[in-house]
Amino acid sequence: MLGLGADRLRADMNRLLALLFHQGVLDEQFLQLQQLQDETSPNFVCEVVNIYFHESEKLLRNLRGLLMERDFSDYKKMGIHLNQFMGSSSSIGAKRVRNVCVAFRAASEQNNRAGCLRALELLENEYCYLKNKLHELFQIEQQRVLAAGARYPMQN
Amino acid sequence: MASDTDYDSDGMRDNGNGGSSEGNGRRRRHPMMTWRNNLRALVVDNGRICRIMESGLLDAYGVEVEAVGTGEAAVELIASGETFDLIVIEMFLPFMSGPETARTIREMGITSKILGIAPMYWEKDAQEFLAAGIDEFLEKPFTPELFVPFLREIDNQK
Repeated sequence: MLGLGADRLRADMNRLLALLFHQGVLDEQFLQLQQLQDETSPNFVCEVVNIYFHESEKLLRNLRGLLMERDFSDYKKMGIHLNQFMGSSSSIGAKRVRNVCVAFRAASEQNNRAGCLRALELLENEYCYLKNKLHELFQIEQQRVLAAGARYPMQN
Repeated sequence: MASDTDYDSDGMRDNGNGGSSEGNGRRRRHPMMTWRNNLRALVVDNGRICRIMESGLLDAYGVEVEAVGTGEAAVELIASGETFDLIVIEMFLPFMSGPETARTIREMGITSKILGIAPMYWEKDAQEFLAAGIDEFLEKPFTPELFVPFLREIDNQK
């Protein structure tokens, strides 16, 4: 009986991961990230993803700040932020976010402000979806660890 | 001027300080591959997440890794006498670019394998980076499928 809760939660995690892979939200690189977690770094995935969230939100603020400037023309600076966002997203397997960055960069290379604004909105939405789903994944994982570690008093 | 996202620091072992090198700190108990020789790699990437993943994967595959966030730090490290079998350099570094870093390292007489990496493959950037002296231009993410063949080649030649 004890193991059933943990097993069910593991199944929930696998189902959520499968969905995210099927939707193209994540790709194989996320599995590489998971493989780096071991007994010496038991929270590696969560730590790396949290750093990714922190950095991504700063980049999104920078991008929005640039585009909201009345006389915005610094597409080069925008390109720098997008390169960083593309790199970090691909490094953790955030495939859809990375792909939107590619489209965003294409618009920025054409100095297409309207295109950039549309791409930014899409990017913010994709990022939000990714963040919510990864939080859900980590919550299930936390519950699974607790369930797996639950102990009942010994019966004489 | 470097973006303020480049050098954040928090409790994680990688503090993103572009001016100093970070050893990988921990060595994996059971690396995914073992080599006949001791292999050392230098990762040069201003992106913190990228640096963590590139270092982490190389470490997982049995390579001793140093990681820095700028080309200047990489050149300084090599000038101090550190040697590396493999050097991985991001194209879009702040200040000293990836190609400038590669060119400087080659001018120092370093013949190690150098891989240039970028968020996306752009022909113009690849040509520029290759002309600067890298051996191969790769698109991120930096995966074992991409780097293990180079490690094998290096290990066989040592």
